[in-house]
Amino acid sequence: MALANADSSPEHVPRPRRLRLDLTTPILLGLPLAWLAAFFLVPIAIVAAYSFDVYSLNPGPHGFTLTAWHDFLHSSVYLRLFWKSVKLSLTVSAIIVLLAYPLAYYLALSGTKRKYILLLLLIAPFLTSYLLRVLAWKVILGNQGAVNTFLFWTGLRSPDHPLSQLLYSRFAVMLVLGYIWLPFVALPIFVSLESLDRRLLEAASDLGASRLQAFRRVTLPLSLPGVVAAFLFVFIPTLGEFVTPSLVGGASGYLYGNQIVDLFSTGFPDWEIGSVLSIFLLGVVAILTVVFARFLQPGEVTVD
Amino acid sequence: MDKHEGTEKRLSREQLLRLTAAAGGATLLGSRFDTAQAALERLGAESGRLQVLDWPGYGNDGGQAMFAQYVKTHPSNKPQFTQMTSESDALGRIHAGLKPDLFRPYVGWVKYFATSGLVQPWDTKQISNFKHLNPFMVKAGQYNGKQYGIPDDWGFDAILYRSDKVHPKARSWGLLFDERYKGKIAWYDDLEMLVMAGLYLGFPRPYRQSDSELKKSQKLLMSKKHLVRLIWSSETNLWEAFGSGDLWIAYAWPNDWVQMKKKKLPVVYMRPKEKPIAWVGMFMLMKGSKRPHLAHAYVNAWSSARSGKWLEDNYGYGHANTLARPSSSALLRALQLTNPKAVTEPNAHLDRDIPRRALYARMWEEVKAS
Repeated sequence: MALANADSSPEHVPRPRRLRLDLTTPILLGLPLAWLAAFFLVPIAIVAAYSFDVYSLNPGPHGFTLTAWHDFLHSSVYLRLFWKSVKLSLTVSAIIVLLAYPLAYYLALSGTKRKYILLLLLIAPFLTSYLLRVLAWKVILGNQGAVNTFLFWTGLRSPDHPLSQLLYSRFAVMLVLGYIWLPFVALPIFVSLESLDRRLLEAASDLGASRLQAFRRVTLPLSLPGVVAAFLFVFIPTLGEFVTPSLVGGASGYLYGNQIVDLFSTGFPDWEIGSVLSIFLLGVVAILTVVFARFLQPGEVTVD
Repeated sequence: MDKHEGTEKRLSREQLLRLTAAAGGATLLGSRFDTAQAALERLGAESGRLQVLDWPGYGNDGGQAMFAQYVKTHPSNKPQFTQMTSESDALGRIHAGLKPDLFRPYVGWVKYFATSGLVQPWDTKQISNFKHLNPFMVKAGQYNGKQYGIPDDWGFDAILYRSDKVHPKARSWGLLFDERYKGKIAWYDDLEMLVMAGLYLGFPRPYRQSDSELKKSQKLLMSKKHLVRLIWSSETNLWEAFGSGDLWIAYAWPNDWVQMKKKKLPVVYMRPKEKPIAWVGMFMLMKGSKRPHLAHAYVNAWSSARSGKWLEDNYGYGHANTLARPSSSALLRALQLTNPKAVTEPNAHLDRDIPRRALYARMWEEVKAS
C-alpha cells in the first residue's frame, strides 16, 4: 500500500536507473542469443535443409523430399551402427562413472589436505593435446607396444604371438574413451560430494546408521545429480565420437560418428544421408538430455 | 596514367626484367609485338600466391624438387597449399567457398568435374613438357576433345604382403578375403573396393556393375569384413600398422611397398591375376582462376622429367613424363615404366568415370557400417 502511495505521488519521477536496467537486460541476453542463433540454430537448419534435399551439393534439379530420411529409417545398416554406438557409449559411460565415483568420494570426503593437489593431478592430462593422448595409446597397445613388450619379457607371450587384439578393436576404443573422459566424470561428482552438508552424515551416525547405510541413504541420493551430470558429460560426446575410433578402432571399432564424417567427405559426397544421420543424432541426444535432466534435481534423503 | 604505367607499378623490378625479357624473346621469335604485350599484361595482372588444392605431402618439399622450376621463375607467386583428403572433400571445400587456382583429382573424376562447370580446359601450348607426357594418360585427361586433366602421378592398386608370414594360394585379389589371415588384413577406404570385388567375382564391367552384381560385390565385402583389422585412408596409418606387424596383407599402392622395403620388411607387391587397378592424378584448372598462366607454369614444372624422377625415387609412384626414370630398377620393374601401356588394358584396369558413383559410394559406406 505504501508503495502504491509512493507511485501515485505527484512528485514521483521514474528513476533513470530503472530505464538503464530495462535496456541492459535485452542487450546482455540478445548478444549471446544472436550468437546462438547465428552459429548454432542456423547451421542446424541448413543441415536439416540438406537432409530434405532443399539444398544439395550436386548440380541438377532438387527440392523438398523425404527420400534420404526414408532410406535411413529403412536401412538396417545405419540403425544397427547407431545402436552399436549407443551400446558402446553406455558401457563406457557406466564403467567410468563407477570408476570415478570412489575417486571423487576419496578426494571430497576423506579430509585429506592434499585433495586439490590430487585433483590437479587428475586433470593434468588435459594440459596435453587430445590427439596426443589418443596417439599415445597406439604406442602402448600395438604389437610392439608397451603391453606386448612386457608380456614378451615375462614370457607370457612369445614375440611371434603378441596380443594382437589390443589395438584396432572395439576394446581399444572403449579403453581410450574411458581414459580420455575419466577426469570429466570425476569433476562433477567431486563438486556434488564436496557441497554435501556434512551435518547430515553426522546426524545419520548419531541416529545409529552404519557408514554403509549413511552412504546408501544420504551420500548417494544427494550426489546423484552430479553422477547423472557426469554420465551425460561422457555419453553425449562419445555417442558422436569419431576421432578416437578412427585412430585406434580399426574396422571393428567403426562408429556412427565415423559414418557421418565419411558420408560428408569420402567416396562421393552424400550430404543428404550425412545430414539425416546428423539430425537424427542431434534429436536423440536432445531427447536423452531432457529425460536425464529430470534426475539433475537434488535427491532426497531416505528415511525409514 | 595510362594502362602500362599501372601494370609496371604492380611489378617488382625482378618481375619486370623477366617479363621484358620474355616479351623481347617473343618479339625476336617473330611474334607480333601486341602478342608479347598481351602476354606481359596477363602475367602482370596475375599477382599473389598460386592457390593449390592438393593431397597431403605434395607441398612438403617446399619447392625444392617437384615444382622447383616454378618457384625459381616465380618467386613472388609461390604456391600456397590447401590439403584435400579426397575428391569428395575437395568438392565440399570448393562449394564452401574455397577458390583454388588448380587442384588434383584422380582420373575417375575427370568427366564429373569437366561437366560440373567448376573447371576449364588447359591450354597445352603453354605447357612445354606436355609433349613428353604418356599419350594414354593424356587421353584419359580429355573430355569432349578438350584437355581438362594434365596427368602427373600414377600408380596401381594391388596387394602388399609379408612374404615371411603369408603364403598365397593364388595370385589373386582373393588374398584380401583369406580366412587364414583373419585380423591381419587391411582394406582401403574407397568405393574402389566394390570395383575390386567385382573383378574378383569376374564381372565383365566392374565400373558399371548392374544392381544384382553390385549387391553380390557388397555382400562379398560384408561377409569378409570380419577378417579385416584396418580400413585405411591414410598411408602413414597403414605404414605404422604394417611396419609394426599388426598387418600382414594390405590393399596398397606402390609407395607403400617402397616404404615397407625401406623398413627392411620382407614384402611382395603382388599383381593379381584379375589385374591391378591403375590410377592417374590429373591437374585441373579452376574456372574463374585469377592466375591461369601461373597455374600453367606450375603444372609445366610438375610435368618435367626431373620432377618425375624425384617423385618416383621418393614416393614410389610413376610419373606421366615418359622420360622420367627412377634410380631403383626394382621400382622400374614394379611400375613397368618402360611399358607405355602399363596403366591400360590388358595390363591393368585404369580407373574411370563410374556413372553410378553415388550408388557405389553409398554401398561402400554400408559395408563399413555393417
